[in-house]
Amino acid sequence: MSFAIETVGLTHYYSKGTVQQVAAINDVNLQIEKGELIGIIGHTGSGKSTLISHFNGLLKPDSGKILVDGVDIWKDKETLKQSRFKVGLCFQYPEYQLFEETVYKDIAFGPKNMKLSEAEIKERVLRAAAFVGVKPEHLDKSPFDLSGGEKRRVAIAGVMSMEPEVLIFDEPAAGLDPKGRKDLVELIKEYRKQTGSTVIIVSHSMEDIAGMADRIIVMNNSSVAMQGSVDEVYSRGDELRAMGLNVPEITEIFSKLRAKGIDVPANVYTVEQGTAILRNLIERRSAE
Amino acid sequence: MIRDITIGQYYPGKSVLHNLDPRAKLIATFWLIVVIFLCKSFFSLGLIALTAVAAAALSRVPAKMMLKSLKPIVIILVFTAVLNVLYTEGGKVYFEFWNIAVTEKGVNTAIFTMIRIVSLVIISSLLTYTTTPTILTDGLERILSPLKVFKIKVHTLAMMMTLALRFIPTLIEEIDRIMNAQKARGADLESGGIIQRAKALVPIFIPLMVSSFRRAYELAFAMTCRCYTGGEGRTRMKQMKLGIRDVVAFLFCAAITAGVIVLNHFFEAVI
Repeated sequence: MSFAIETVGLTHYYSKGTVQQVAAINDVNLQIEKGELIGIIGHTGSGKSTLISHFNGLLKPDSGKILVDGVDIWKDKETLKQSRFKVGLCFQYPEYQLFEETVYKDIAFGPKNMKLSEAEIKERVLRAAAFVGVKPEHLDKSPFDLSGGEKRRVAIAGVMSMEPEVLIFDEPAAGLDPKGRKDLVELIKEYRKQTGSTVIIVSHSMEDIAGMADRIIVMNNSSVAMQGSVDEVYSRGDELRAMGLNVPEITEIFSKLRAKGIDVPANVYTVEQGTAILRNLIERRSAE
Repeated sequence: MIRDITIGQYYPGKSVLHNLDPRAKLIATFWLIVVIFLCKSFFSLGLIALTAVAAAALSRVPAKMMLKSLKPIVIILVFTAVLNVLYTEGGKVYFEFWNIAVTEKGVNTAIFTMIRIVSLVIISSLLTYTTTPTILTDGLERILSPLKVFKIKVHTLAMMMTLALRFIPTLIEEIDRIMNAQKARGADLESGGIIQRAKALVPIFIPLMVSSFRRAYELAFAMTCRCYTGGEGRTRMKQMKLGIRDVVAFLFCAAITAGVIVLNHFFEAVI
C-alpha cells in the first residue's frame, strides 16, 4: 500500500539564484501513512509552512519528489490539479480567505472548482457546515457579518467540503480563546474519527498536539530533527528546548514532581490526564 | 513568486549623491530637467549628457542597474527616432522613396531627441536610486509646505504617500497568502479567457479589500493612540539641514546652466 504522502529528498530554496539564497527546507524525507494524525512542530522559520505548501503543490520543490498516494504530483498538470483536491490545506487565519456573498456559496467554492454536480455540492456543503457547527440559518448570511470564531468555522468548512483524503491545518487555533481552542481540537479529532482521513496539524501549542497526534514530526533548521510517537518526542525535552521549543507545561510540572521523589508517571501531556493522576494520588494519600 | 517583485528602485549606498539633502536633490533634478530642454545645439546637449553620466558614476549605482531603468523606454526611443527621421525635412537629402525623404535635419533631430530622452531618464532615475521613498516624500513635503497658504494639506498628502509606499510590500504578501488559500481550494487562476480570468480574481480581490480596510482602521487607531493629530506643530527626529554640499550642488547646476546658455549661443542650433 502506498503512503498518503511521501517526500523524497524534498528541497526548496528561497531567493534562488541570488546571494540571499537559503534553503527553506533541505532534503526532507517523510512517510505519512493513510489515516495517521500527524503533528508538525518547530519554531518560527523552521520550514514547517514551506513543507506543507509542497504537499498540495502550491510550491514546486527545487529538487526531490513529493508523492501523494504514490503518484508524483508534478507529473503533469492534471495530477497537480487533482492533488489540490486530494490534499486540503487550511491556512493560518483562514477566515481572511472568505469572499462570497453568502456562507453557503463560500463553502461551496471548493466543491464547485471540483466540477461536482449541484446536488453533490449541496450535500457536501450542508454536511461540512453541520459538522463544524455553522447554524443552518447562517448559511444565507454574508460571511462578513459573522463573529471571528464563526468565520473561522465557515472557512474550515470551506476546506472540509472538498472532502480531501489528507487534511492539513496550519496553526488552526491561532488567535482563539481557550474554549475556542478546545472546541477546535475536539472538532479535528471528531473529523478524523468520522472520516478516517489523514490529518496533519502544524502548531506551536504542544498541549494541543500532544492530546491528539499519533506521531510528531519536529522541524528544525529546514530539516526534520526528530520524529516519533508523542512519548518518544516529548521524552527528549532537553533537545526540544535546545531547538527553541518546549514540552507541554503539565509535562514539565510532572518531571519536577518526579525530581522531588513523588511517584508519578513521566508521560503526562494533557491537563486532563494530569489532574486525574494527581487526584488519584491525593485520594490515595488521604486514605493512608 | 509574486513577492520577488521589487518596488521602488532605491539602491543603498553612501555616495555624495546619497548624502545630499532630499530637497536639494529634488530641486537640482528639476533644475537639470529644465536645462535639458534649454539645449539647442549638440554641444550644449553634450554637456548635459556628460553631466548625467558623471552624476551616475558619482552615485556608484552599478551601470547594470542604470541600464535596467533605460530598458522600458527603448520602445519610446525607437518610436520617436523613426518619426523624427521620417517627418522632419531640411538640409541634405540622404535618400528618398515615395514621398518620404530621409534628410540631414531629420537624422540630426532624431539623434538629438534620443540623447535628450536618455539624459532625462538617467537624471530622474538617479533621484530615486539614491533616495529612499520615505525621505523623498519628506523632502517633497518640505518643498511644498508654502502651499499651506492656499489651505492645501501638504502634510496629510505626504503622510498618505509615505503610508501607501510603506504598505505595498505588506499588500503583496497579503495577495500571495490569499492566492495560496484560494488555490488550495482549487481556484484556477491561470487558464481560461479574459472574462474567466477576471472572474477568477474576485476571490482574491474581495478578501484583499476587506483586509486593506481592516488594516487602514487599525493603523488609524494606532496613530491616534500615539497622539497623531496631523502636521500642526509636529517636529522631526531627523531635521533636514541644507549643508555645504547642497550649496555646491546648486552652484554646479548653475554652472551647467551657464555653460548650456553659452554653448547655445556659439553653436548652430539643431532644433
